[in-house]
Amino acid sequence: MRLTIERRLEQPRWRVVVVPVGSVLFALLVAGVVLVVTGHDPISTYHKLFEAAFVQTGALNQTLIAATPLAFTGLAAAAAFRMRLYNIGGEGQLYLGAIFGAGIGLLVGGNGSASPGVIAAMVAAGCLGGALWAAIPGVLRAFLGTSEILTSLMLNYVAAYLLTYLIFQSQSYWRETKGFNATVFPTGKPLPPNAVWPTWNLSAQGGIAVPLGAFFAIGAAVVLWVLYKRTRFGFEVQVLGDSEGAARYAGVRVRRKILAVMAISGAIAGLGGASQVGDFSHALDGDPNGLQKQGYGYSGIVVAALGRYNPLAVLIVALLIGGLDNAGNTLQGADFPSGLVGVIQGIILFSALGGELLVRHRVRITRRAPAVEAAA
Amino acid sequence: MTKRKLALAAATLVIAAAAAVLALGTSPGSAKSTSAFKAAWIYVGPHDDGGWSQAHDDGRLYVQKALGSKVQTTYKENIAVGSQFDQTVSSLRAQGYKLIFATSYGYVTPAVAAKYPDVKFEQATGTLVGKNVSEYFGAAEDTVYLSGMAAGAAATCNTIGFVVAYPIPEVIRHANAFALGAQLTHPGIKVKLVWTNSWYDPPKEKKAAQSLHGSGSCVLGQNVDSPATGQYAESVKAPWVGYDSDASKFAPQSWLTASVYNWGPYYLKRVQAAMNGTWKPGFYYGNIADGFTKLAKYGPSVSSKTKSLIAAKLAKLRARPGAEFTGPLYDQSGKLRVPKGVQMQVLKGGTNSLYGMNWLVRGVIGSPKG
Repeated sequence: MRLTIERRLEQPRWRVVVVPVGSVLFALLVAGVVLVVTGHDPISTYHKLFEAAFVQTGALNQTLIAATPLAFTGLAAAAAFRMRLYNIGGEGQLYLGAIFGAGIGLLVGGNGSASPGVIAAMVAAGCLGGALWAAIPGVLRAFLGTSEILTSLMLNYVAAYLLTYLIFQSQSYWRETKGFNATVFPTGKPLPPNAVWPTWNLSAQGGIAVPLGAFFAIGAAVVLWVLYKRTRFGFEVQVLGDSEGAARYAGVRVRRKILAVMAISGAIAGLGGASQVGDFSHALDGDPNGLQKQGYGYSGIVVAALGRYNPLAVLIVALLIGGLDNAGNTLQGADFPSGLVGVIQGIILFSALGGELLVRHRVRITRRAPAVEAAA
Repeated sequence: MTKRKLALAAATLVIAAAAAVLALGTSPGSAKSTSAFKAAWIYVGPHDDGGWSQAHDDGRLYVQKALGSKVQTTYKENIAVGSQFDQTVSSLRAQGYKLIFATSYGYVTPAVAAKYPDVKFEQATGTLVGKNVSEYFGAAEDTVYLSGMAAGAAATCNTIGFVVAYPIPEVIRHANAFALGAQLTHPGIKVKLVWTNSWYDPPKEKKAAQSLHGSGSCVLGQNVDSPATGQYAESVKAPWVGYDSDASKFAPQSWLTASVYNWGPYYLKRVQAAMNGTWKPGFYYGNIADGFTKLAKYGPSVSSKTKSLIAAKLAKLRARPGAEFTGPLYDQSGKLRVPKGVQMQVLKGGTNSLYGMNWLVRGVIGSPKG
């Protein structure tokens, strides 16, 4: 008996819906066994998980806080991975976006209510910071053939040290130096009032504050979708992703595409960094136990894969993963170990990603492989 | 019906069933003990880290035991500062937890305090006292100083390795106290620092210990949360001074002693105050005399001579907390920082206060900037 996995010649549309749903249900079943074995009631646990993510007072509010950065890093990864350009550096590009965005916010901001001009400057700076950081592995790949996977990954560590350095190990422009509190524990300098991004308040569910960044993420997804589906640039990127040789013969300028796609990818991650500062922390967060511990850049890769690199699907996946993330905080506690939360989250993500295989491939169990293949 | 329609119908059914279960499923956990007062603790690392967070969790259990069913406590572990803390507070508040002990600095910011005005925040190690924010900590430097005496006495070489977290005044103050204590029992000894830039990171702590030992430190100490340094010390048979909790079980032979915290009584007092409506924001700084900081039990290699030296000093520090930071104190470059006879204060005095100290004393090798 032999197990073979082969590519499907055609991909029926219904599988795109059924397989992910089935995968998640399968995951809940497997995780259910884990829960029962560890002495927890699976139904009540899932109920709590769902409530904590989307239903209870303030839940959606908090889910959006987790989902917004994931949408940015997910889109950043999707933009690059489409061309089989594996930008693993979303994490570092997000930090650079935060550094640039905070820098400009501190520089041009002032008193008064949120200023569109200041916010636009922060957005532009965030995009620039991310794009420049992503351009380093882009240039190395385009001109020297260096693996962008390694270089972009390594630059994440460099960016993390830079972030910590700016707040903890230097009297930088980003660091708060006034007052006694600032000497007790290093913190970022707070943004001036008009550089703080506004929120759009919904009155449902005890008040949901939709961060401005969430709208930027939706905007970025639409732009990305149009770019990749409706323009020549997008078409060339797709061709390049499928076959670099074919693209070359067709006259696609490969180096330019690599640089452009890395820059776009980095700019989106960088915008996510500016949103972290403008929407949430309102100061540069250099604490290794803060922004760096969240690992939004790495989670974004999972979000992109689950969204099958489709920008609009990435938004939905970001919301779901954000919910799962937020619910995990609610679920863990004295009667529910955080490790178990991680196990459940892991099983769900693993199954969802594994299920993807079944959309594009089919698994066949064959008794005597050669004979069957001959018959087929 | 075609196969496709069938599959779609099946999928819809399954989704509907799942939604029904999620919407209607009862959760017995949320229904219980609604009358109990709810208090929550938030930790930077795991609740059983063998150090800092475990000491806090012991305090939580102390409260739970003392008040029984009148109180319901929980904790959230491995919580990042920033938006994850915000998420955690929001969900705790939705579940009725209105007293939150944030056990690390950086969690509670003025913005968070203003966002949840009905939550009473208690933050360890900080200075941000506000309408709904209290700060609490204590003179661990006194007991760290005593543990440094044990390290100095155990040293057969000229350098002690000290694994440290962040380059901030709290850690600098403890490193200084440790060095001053070691110099008392072993004149001229150096204390070498390696920063990990994390409160809890066992692999990094182990590496730091390894590099310190490899470069000539024959005794190890720490101001980080896990016992990884001790486990490494045990493997190379080097004496070790812990921190936060009694972690002797991780290194029974290497263990000398440690400065440990007793958070329980403070927690009990504050929970009771919140329960009967007398809670007021404040700044608490405990010490040896009120039982907040202690010295853990000694390991097998500590001599009786060292024990009696430490006991004599402990009695002095009990009477006058912080006395080890009395001038003359010199910094690394040999410059006189605190004149003779002057004792540093907790909050007053800028960089010459316990909470603002950003310089290392003479004999410490390493940079106060990390």
